Amino acid sequence: MRAFRIDGRPGAPGFFALPRGVAGSLALLAITAVAAGCGSTSATTTKPATTGTPASANLLGAAYDTSTQSPVTLNGAGANSIEPFFETVFYQYNQKNPNTTVNYSPAGSSVGVTDIQQGTVAFGDSEIPMTASQLAAATGGTVLQIPVDLGGVAISYNVPGVTKSIDLDGPTLAGIFDGSITNWDDPAIAALNPGVTLPNLAIKAVHRADSSGPGYDLDQYLIDTAPAWVTAIGTSTPSRTWPEASVGIGEQLNTGVATYISQTSGSIGFVEYGYALQNGFVNAAVKNSAGSFVAPTEASIAAAGAKATSLSPTDFNVVNEAGSGTYPIANFSWTLVYQKQTDTNTGIALGKLFDWVITSGQEDAASLGYAPLPSNVVTLAHNTILELESSTGTPLFSNGA
Amino acid sequence: MSPDAVSGLAGAWPAGRVRRALLRKRSRFGDGAYSALRWAGAGLFGAVVLGLLVGIGSDSSAAFAHSGVGFIWSGTWNPAAGQYGAGILVLDTLLTTAVAMVLMVPIGLGTAVFLSELAPRWLAGPLSTLIGLLAAIPSIVVGLWGLLVLTPIFANQVEPFLASVPALGWLFRGEAYGPSILLASVVLAVMTLPTMVSLSRSAFGGVPLADREAALALGATRWQVVRRAVFPAARAGVSAAVTLAVGRALGESIAVAMVIGNRPAIPESLTTPGATLGSAIVNQFAEASPGIGTSSVIALGAVLLILTVLVNAGGQALLRSGSGSQAHTAGALR
Repeated sequence: MRAFRIDGRPGAPGFFALPRGVAGSLALLAITAVAAGCGSTSATTTKPATTGTPASANLLGAAYDTSTQSPVTLNGAGANSIEPFFETVFYQYNQKNPNTTVNYSPAGSSVGVTDIQQGTVAFGDSEIPMTASQLAAATGGTVLQIPVDLGGVAISYNVPGVTKSIDLDGPTLAGIFDGSITNWDDPAIAALNPGVTLPNLAIKAVHRADSSGPGYDLDQYLIDTAPAWVTAIGTSTPSRTWPEASVGIGEQLNTGVATYISQTSGSIGFVEYGYALQNGFVNAAVKNSAGSFVAPTEASIAAAGAKATSLSPTDFNVVNEAGSGTYPIANFSWTLVYQKQTDTNTGIALGKLFDWVITSGQEDAASLGYAPLPSNVVTLAHNTILELESSTGTPLFSNGA
Repeated sequence: MSPDAVSGLAGAWPAGRVRRALLRKRSRFGDGAYSALRWAGAGLFGAVVLGLLVGIGSDSSAAFAHSGVGFIWSGTWNPAAGQYGAGILVLDTLLTTAVAMVLMVPIGLGTAVFLSELAPRWLAGPLSTLIGLLAAIPSIVVGLWGLLVLTPIFANQVEPFLASVPALGWLFRGEAYGPSILLASVVLAVMTLPTMVSLSRSAFGGVPLADREAALALGATRWQVVRRAVFPAARAGVSAAVTLAVGRALGESIAVAMVIGNRPAIPESLTTPGATLGSAIVNQFAEASPGIGTSSVIALGAVLLILTVLVNAGGQALLRSGSGSQAHTAGALR
């Protein structure tokens, strides 16, 4: 492992002698110089246009090449649901840019939020953007929230003899998770699935024991579609902590839920689609707002994401979106970074990394069970990255494209 | 070597006086340093305990102010709805610990007796090493083993079988999920077994050989020697072993969270999922919502602390009240 320079200033050893602000400006010059190499001569830092940037090109231009950067280790923590995606893209980025090493701890969205609030990590990640009160509790100033992937929550089950997707709607799912439907041959399930032979087998519902993004999304879907669910949990505000913890069993993280489903016949639970794909689960086709039953796939999750035309950290809900081919339980994952980066070298490395993740990194999304970000979301993410500043308030990037 | 011996030796030496003076000086300095170290150590220990108590107390005060003392026995733990009560968690914590001890203590004592009194030396050595290894396994590994290996076995074989046992079925009724109070107890039993065996074994080893020989000379059988001579003499050591095991079982968090099913509801049987104080702390601790949620999780820690102290104190009291009559009967060999 490469040594991590604590002072973190970029460039030649001579930089050590310079005051931080000067080093920062020189770093900015260096970035501009690299950008100049690919045709841009502008050193200004004006905000870029918000439309019309192609998703395929890398938005920071050649600036994402870190071969001249001094070695940086970026530590992150957060959502468990994004782990299969992050694991792959961080590895590939490191292969291309060995000077940036990323360690990601998939301990859960709540950990991502807490860790960034306390400044113990370079970046956090949460399946749900931070709320106003959470942002206010951040110790390092303004937190930038960058949408980095688009995923779906699969309803996976393990029922002997049922090898195809069964159809489930909101009220039936609510019944399964609030304990009013307890057997697989229940009339409510049978009515939705004529022609499917359902066994006389007890339902073992499994939910997340820790607070989670997938739990929040499914809670939101059930609140939207099943009045009985709202009555059962006594609120119409979705919660990251699973609200019906006294029914079925709780397991930790996607991994725990997936493990339980794979080894227990009669089980049904919810996991991030990436985990369902890894485990080869059979997933339910869930009734969407157009009335059709849709199973999670890259296309059906992408269809949900495409409806997020006005996506922002305060308007992030893509559950139960319109369209007959839309999977109803989808969500964006948000990377959390401080706008003011006390360490310029780290800040530049972070910006380059995530600009690569939202562009080239998306090519891996489909094979891992995620959908590529829609182009308007890529633009939003890119513009958010451009807001990164040094400790003195100087922008770290110009629009290098 | 006694001081006299030192000075005697020094007196015979030409440079004895100098050396003696040096020795005395050095030892005085050493005494002072050691004394300072002792006080510093004791002070530091006290400060850490005090800091812990003050920290837990102040951080959990918001929860107790919000829910009142009823927090300790109120039954609903549902952070999603803002309902915080530790009652069911306390119940399940006591239940898992009790079942674990019922399973573990006889096996642990039996193994210790076997190792100390009955096993041939070639077997006792390797067996003790194995048990030492078991003690060194981190709890998360035991938890993983419970999750990956025991859970399917319990869900598909053990729990359905127990539920079908005629007279005991009611103890194990309900859906066979796998993760359950029973499975958590089994995992706790496995985790506490090595401590129990090694501590009781050294307690048995400390019983003078003469006691055993005297019992044998009086015509006692092997069992009577163990029952009447070894057990009473090793009583304090064995009870210390049980106390330690109970303390670990009460507080174990990660491994329990992996195998108990995390259901904060009144258990209808031993095979229903449950939730302990430790497992609830593990699951909720990362929840970012500052204020009452975080404070309630810390309050669970406070309840766990109180519970551990109470159970230990209760155990000690039980031991003291029982020791009089025990000593009385122990004297008479049948």
